[in-house]
Amino acid sequence: MQKTRRFVAYLKRIPSDIRKLFREPLLLTGIVLVSAFLFIFIVFPLFKIFHLSFEDDGRLSLRIFFELLSKDYNVQPLIHSLHLGVFVSILGTVIGFVFAYAVTRVDIPWKRFFNVTATFPIIAPPFMMALAMILLFGKQGFVSSMILNNVIRFEIYGFNGLLAVETLTYFSTAYLTLYGVLQAIDPALEDAALDLGASKWHVFKRITLPLAVPGIASAFLLIFSQSLADFGNPMILAGNYTILATQAYLTIVGMYDMKGGAALAILLLIPSIIAFCLQKYWVSRKFYITVTGKPSSTRIKMDHPVTKYGMFAICLLLTAAIFLFYGMIIFGSFVKLWGANHTPTLDNYIHVFTVGWGYIKDTLLLSAIATPTAGLLAMIIAFLVVRKNFPGKRLMELVSLLTFAVPGTVVGIGYILAFNEYPLKLTGTAAIIILLFIFRDLAVGVQTGIAELQQIDPSIEEAATDLGADSATTFRRITLPLITPAFYAGLAFTFVKCMTAISAVIFVVSGKWNLITIAILGSVENSDLAQAAAFSVVIIVFILLALWLINFLVNLMGVKKKISFEKAEAL
Amino acid sequence: MKRVKIILAISFVFFFSSQVMAQEALRMYTSLDPNEAKVYIEAFIKDTGIKVDWVRMSAGEVLARIKAEAKNPQVSITYGGPSVEYIAAKKEGLLVPYKSPVGAPFLKGNLKDPEDFWTGFYFGAIGFGNNTAWFEKNKVPLPTSWQDLLRPELKANISIAYPYTSGTSYTTLATLAQLMGEDKAFDYWKKLEPNIHHYNTSGSACITQAGLGEIAVGIAFSHDILAKGTSKGYPVKGTFPSEGTGYEIGAMGLVKGGKQHDLAKKFIDWSMSKRAQDLMQVWFRIPLNPEATVAAGATKAADVKLINYNDEWAGSNNKRLIEKWRQTIGK
Repeated sequence: MQKTRRFVAYLKRIPSDIRKLFREPLLLTGIVLVSAFLFIFIVFPLFKIFHLSFEDDGRLSLRIFFELLSKDYNVQPLIHSLHLGVFVSILGTVIGFVFAYAVTRVDIPWKRFFNVTATFPIIAPPFMMALAMILLFGKQGFVSSMILNNVIRFEIYGFNGLLAVETLTYFSTAYLTLYGVLQAIDPALEDAALDLGASKWHVFKRITLPLAVPGIASAFLLIFSQSLADFGNPMILAGNYTILATQAYLTIVGMYDMKGGAALAILLLIPSIIAFCLQKYWVSRKFYITVTGKPSSTRIKMDHPVTKYGMFAICLLLTAAIFLFYGMIIFGSFVKLWGANHTPTLDNYIHVFTVGWGYIKDTLLLSAIATPTAGLLAMIIAFLVVRKNFPGKRLMELVSLLTFAVPGTVVGIGYILAFNEYPLKLTGTAAIIILLFIFRDLAVGVQTGIAELQQIDPSIEEAATDLGADSATTFRRITLPLITPAFYAGLAFTFVKCMTAISAVIFVVSGKWNLITIAILGSVENSDLAQAAAFSVVIIVFILLALWLINFLVNLMGVKKKISFEKAEAL
Repeated sequence: MKRVKIILAISFVFFFSSQVMAQEALRMYTSLDPNEAKVYIEAFIKDTGIKVDWVRMSAGEVLARIKAEAKNPQVSITYGGPSVEYIAAKKEGLLVPYKSPVGAPFLKGNLKDPEDFWTGFYFGAIGFGNNTAWFEKNKVPLPTSWQDLLRPELKANISIAYPYTSGTSYTTLATLAQLMGEDKAFDYWKKLEPNIHHYNTSGSACITQAGLGEIAVGIAFSHDILAKGTSKGYPVKGTFPSEGTGYEIGAMGLVKGGKQHDLAKKFIDWSMSKRAQDLMQVWFRIPLNPEATVAAGATKAADVKLINYNDEWAGSNNKRLIEKWRQTIGK
């Protein structure tokens, strides 16, 4: 009853909202433009995929879809992907939790160091972890041949190898999510329980853990979607364990079987969307807010030596593994011929800067155009969604967040279906790559923008409006400066994503515009491991330089808050 | 001040795009290894002053790509990869003919398309790239026949590419079908399946993997075995099946609707020249120009037992054979 009344009230408000919009033509144009862009570059490509799979002689039909599902070579990858996703999520969440718990609750040394190292895998270029896995544990690998002397054999191709590299990559996500959650739990609760005589284990079991459950579920679902969307690692390590994202790619790139590829894309999309909806609309609603406003500085430090040193050892082991993987890539990039001739050489870098120079130039140029555009667009969307009333506002928010849930492979397939024909013939242009960059990772910028804006009192903006400023001026002069930290966090995140993009752009690159990640794929496909390693190192260096530059700019502009890159990623 | 900045930013973007558009470049897809392709393409640029924008993809991927782009072609030439892929492309109406005056005197018989839709420029035979260290250590003799590959000792120790992405692998499939008869060939591959460690997208990748010892045997073209294995210093030795093996005539062709056909024709003529064909020594390919020098140690047609390989049949049955392979193997 109440709902209906509210809905009626909403409907009654629409005409006045629209009337208000017409008084501000610039705002109206903005809304229409943003909506149009979101529709064309996010919704339309997805629609094309469904259209191709479910249309049969002009009618809606499941025939083609079921026919494809009857084929073993389509069903196997689905089972494999889900199986892998579940295991990576469990393992990654457990490790992320241990790490976050150790850093927030246990009195271990080197916390800052662990905190930084745990975020390293975020900037790993695609293929890098899998590549390092081969360099370390392949049959000629550093560990398998030099340390274990081939006594113990690992089969790194297939499930085991993928589980290892994906866990090591995506535990970061769990760590960042759970770090935030554990930080937010008011220690007063734990203190109270302790004062009442509960043992430390009991406090953990009955208070800390239950309060962290939504965070754990959230981390699990986030890792699950990331594992499903992973393209780079399976491309190298899947072996005979076929995975949806790579099979969809091979179906289209190897056979130009658009219908088959689209069907695989849908198989990939469904579990991702389910995970996204669960995370967004179910788990995140259950977060317990225990922040009381009073500053509470006492955190219980688990100081039992077994717990303390046990956890310290786990953290140390994991960071050692991360350093080993990164170190191996750097070492591998300076080696003449991996596995046969380990004389140090700069040949691989010469290759990178001669043959690869065009790739580097294009990547930097396209990223440099896409990054600020995406950042600005995200802030505009956040501003519209939080501060303005107009019909379809919720839908705009949902669509812009949707990009987070859709695996890159699906987006890429949608783009070639949607933009290869008149009137939107974009294939082969730089525009399609830039657009893909912009709309691919819009969600994070929008999320941070919304979160930041919600914390800012609207009265400042209202004051500006009262003094006669229109929406555009308010946005430019008041809102944007206030949300600068979010804006820069969004910039940093988008830039990293552009530099490491592969799963979607792989479908739209052409001879004219190339990307470093595509060059890595080429090297990997030809098993030129050392060259691939050199390209990866170059990507990492560029990312670090760019992050430094963005931070420098922020400081230069006198923004007090440090960019919270971690925060952006955790969202 | 703000306006000025915006104008500056926009003009910056335009400057960059106009820079790129300044000189028309020949746009190309190639299936040659990027390390090899760069040698030829750089030489071409040096000789002619024509700029080349190129992307490397496996031969099957190139075919799929030009099919996908048929309404909006992105390149003018595809360079490298076995003739079977070009026969399939011709059948789909994706190519336009060009008869190179430079190649005409020596391109006879199956070295080019009868109607000049594609032009051959090298020869290579399918063989096995074996990691000799593995064979010595495990005291297994090197495989010298297709049947040898079925040995239980080689379980999960062989690698090849997907027949649908790679021209190398498709040539192998077509060879087996012609050698054994189609049904028996698929029976054979089913028996081979337990010995396959994994499939690659690129045909020559298995040679590096054999060199690294990730696998014991890679099935690939003779020149890739030498160029990416033996000559690089890996313990890799090539052997060839005694029952007979198939081969490729590596080809190139003009893509229908491409915008730089004049440049592409110059590229084809250049590729037929002694100068260009001599360069192929770096990769141990057998040149088709009789005046060109053959690399020492390269595998010539006379060195191996070849089947009477029918590339016309292989190219025409491309789609059907691949679907049958996917149904049978399930990959």
